[in-house]
Amino acid sequence: MHVDIQSLSKRYANGVLACDAVSLQLQPGEVHAILGENGAGKSSLMKMLYGLVEPDSGSIVVQGQPRRFDSPLDAMAAGIGLVPQHLQLLPSLTVAENLVLGAEPVRGPLFDARRARAAASQAAAAHGLAIDVDAAVGTLSAGQQQRVAILKALHRGARLLLLDEPTALLAPAEAEALFEHLRTLVAGGASVVLISHKMAEVQQAADRYTVLRAGRVVGGGRAAGLSAEHLATLMMGRPLAPLRSTRVDARGRPPLLAVRELTLLRPGARPDLAALSLDVAGGEILGIAGVEGNGQQPLAEVLGGLREASSGSLQLAGRTLAGLSVRQRRQAGLGSVSEDRLHDGIAPALSVAENAVALDYNRPPQSRRGVLDVAHIARRARDWVARYGVVCRDERQATGALSGGNMQKVVLARELEAAPRCLVASQPTRGVDIGAARALRAELLALRDRGAAVLLFSADLDELLALADRIAVLFEGRIVGHFAADSVAPRMLGRYMTGSLQDRLAQARLDAPFTAPFTAMEAP
Amino acid sequence: MNGPMTRALLAVGLALAVAFALMCAISAEPVQALRQLLTGALPEPHWSADTGWTLRRLTRFGAVIEKTITLTLLGLAVMFGFRARQFSIGADGQFFLSALAAVAVSVWLPPLGGLELLLAGAAAVAVGFVWGLLPGLLKAEFDANEIVTTLMLNVVAVQAFRYIVTHGFNDPAAGFLVTPTVPAGATLAAIVPRTQISAFVLAVPLATLAAAWLLRRTTLGYEIRVVGDAPAFARQAGLPVKRAVALSMALGGAFAGLAGLHASNALLHRLPADLQPGIGFEGLVVALLARNQPAAVPVAALLYAFLEAGAQAMERSTDVSREMVLVIQALIVLFVVAERLWPAGWVRRKAAI
Repeated sequence: MHVDIQSLSKRYANGVLACDAVSLQLQPGEVHAILGENGAGKSSLMKMLYGLVEPDSGSIVVQGQPRRFDSPLDAMAAGIGLVPQHLQLLPSLTVAENLVLGAEPVRGPLFDARRARAAASQAAAAHGLAIDVDAAVGTLSAGQQQRVAILKALHRGARLLLLDEPTALLAPAEAEALFEHLRTLVAGGASVVLISHKMAEVQQAADRYTVLRAGRVVGGGRAAGLSAEHLATLMMGRPLAPLRSTRVDARGRPPLLAVRELTLLRPGARPDLAALSLDVAGGEILGIAGVEGNGQQPLAEVLGGLREASSGSLQLAGRTLAGLSVRQRRQAGLGSVSEDRLHDGIAPALSVAENAVALDYNRPPQSRRGVLDVAHIARRARDWVARYGVVCRDERQATGALSGGNMQKVVLARELEAAPRCLVASQPTRGVDIGAARALRAELLALRDRGAAVLLFSADLDELLALADRIAVLFEGRIVGHFAADSVAPRMLGRYMTGSLQDRLAQARLDAPFTAPFTAMEAP
Repeated sequence: MNGPMTRALLAVGLALAVAFALMCAISAEPVQALRQLLTGALPEPHWSADTGWTLRRLTRFGAVIEKTITLTLLGLAVMFGFRARQFSIGADGQFFLSALAAVAVSVWLPPLGGLELLLAGAAAVAVGFVWGLLPGLLKAEFDANEIVTTLMLNVVAVQAFRYIVTHGFNDPAAGFLVTPTVPAGATLAAIVPRTQISAFVLAVPLATLAAAWLLRRTTLGYEIRVVGDAPAFARQAGLPVKRAVALSMALGGAFAGLAGLHASNALLHRLPADLQPGIGFEGLVVALLARNQPAAVPVAALLYAFLEAGAQAMERSTDVSREMVLVIQALIVLFVVAERLWPAGWVRRKAAI
């Protein structure tokens, strides 16, 4: 579908100029990537295209006709469909029910389940997306759920699909499958807008690209032959110095964190963790790769003391952790950066200073006999804000009002200043733009080089390969692969992450052998 | 121009507008009714040749201040639990038992030259604290829903109060079921003539400051605020979540205890067996109106007491019925509490007009 975006501008009531005369043309049959850091205006542009935000000026011309969208219904009527990053599907309803939601077939006053099923099967067949229309959406994998969301948009007549960071939660193989589907779709004349900040994806999936920075179009062109450096420079406005790190070979050193035969049972289901053993030595980073939901969160929670293991042992520098409270574990030198910072990484309504003091507010000089030294707490927070480059109005600002990257800097400042001997970091740079992500990664490497053990969970394989010294792959609560990070390719990791390859004897102990291709077995 | 104060005033204004529309529909004298609602609680300056200027209706205004004191303390009581995200509504029970405890201590102690008042206060605060700690511990240790436990403990407290006053702790000479009277030495004398306003009015600023200080300047208050804002984060950071939950409800109980002391030793001096329950829920409304900000609690309490007295004046002197008065009161609370549900842009547009 031909969509001509002409000089769209949007200034929000708070004065932020989110889009400044953005123009771009979308051709039928193309995948168009839109890149930019957080706050560059990508989401605002999408929201204007989807009728969620009204532009101040400029116009949207669809197939030669100028259009005005007052609501998503208008946008849908014009053939524009949005697949948001956090899919808005109802997990307890079936695929067919989700698909027709909003335009349900009815017989009299009642929902016509049979026609809904038929419509869903037909849509799936027509668009070449294989899916079980009777499955409850909650039981599907992230990739399949996304397929449902795409199908839903197509079912509502979308000829232009807006995809907001569609691969954020997908395994590499699922992402590749998604890109293939997009290819078939555009071959049929549809258009796709792909929002991303992963460069590899753009090179792989897009025909053309447009880069936004501070609300303006700063570059664009054909995606073929594009270099990552060029893109990064466009997005940030300056060249990004590559992160230099030397690999550490810690094998043979004593472990600082030692996990043995850790099992976490779940009543009536596959265990969350099954006889998992791993070591992290001081001064090394062990990366944990895996598709989300394969035991990463239970493992982090058991380490942190939020859940008690069913069996197995945990030791930090020779001290048994089992039975210790969260606070005792932290005092023993365990730090943690949690996965969902808005949920359990910060208290959003509290100030930056109050968030920064969460680990040691109960010790002098932060407090004495139960009374806080507010001046000291504020002074120290100001110091951290300056040193970690947190962009905020001042240390009294509510932490929830900061951008994701700055929130994460507050979290990292707090955790690193506690000088942990072992840091468990889950998705530390998720949703953080590339400049801030680079700073956060450099902090993790510096912590490692100061001798701490770092256990890094990340869904971003590029991040794991850049930071980790060893990588263990988690699949269904077990370690199914153990690699030296400098001798494994992302594609290979991907096959272990989806379980199509498994090394049944793999353990991530320091004295355990690395998985060699010939010891791996194809899964039954 | 879009601060919380502006928005609250706007909400009150809108609520009054709707209330006025209702009055127009049901009353023959809506303007008079509105005037009573807004000014009925105020004392009236009166001039006569004999006495010069005097203030009339002081008793009624005194009732507003007395109610403000009670509601400030109960509002602070409810606020503490709310700040830890505990929907604890046990202020009623805490109020009843601590008032009874204050009377009992006052009656049983020999005259100690004012010290008995302090001891009665200590008893009231201790009883409130314990009656708040109980559901707090049940929540912290057994995850018992605090709404259910505090509601049930209210019933236990009120019925226990009635039982005790009916079957033992009463004054047979009174002619009706009522506790013995607090001896004069343990009471707080009124400082404004024709009212019951006592030195206890100082409790309004003092208790508010104490509550704000507890929340903002102590480690316990910090824990309560973190637990209330982000419980998962509090656990992750190793904060003593259970202790903060239990103590937030117990601290609330202590403030409700002060309200009990005020009722027994300053207002009533003796407690009838059929003392009406429900005042704790008015404290809950005050805490909601104040958005759980300690400094706003006295303001909300005054607003509530003022409108209540005005509504009663309206009932007495116009044709607006008691039921309608309650409807209008509820509407005002509804508007102010629901104000945060208004879309921000809508409020801004309204405010610009």
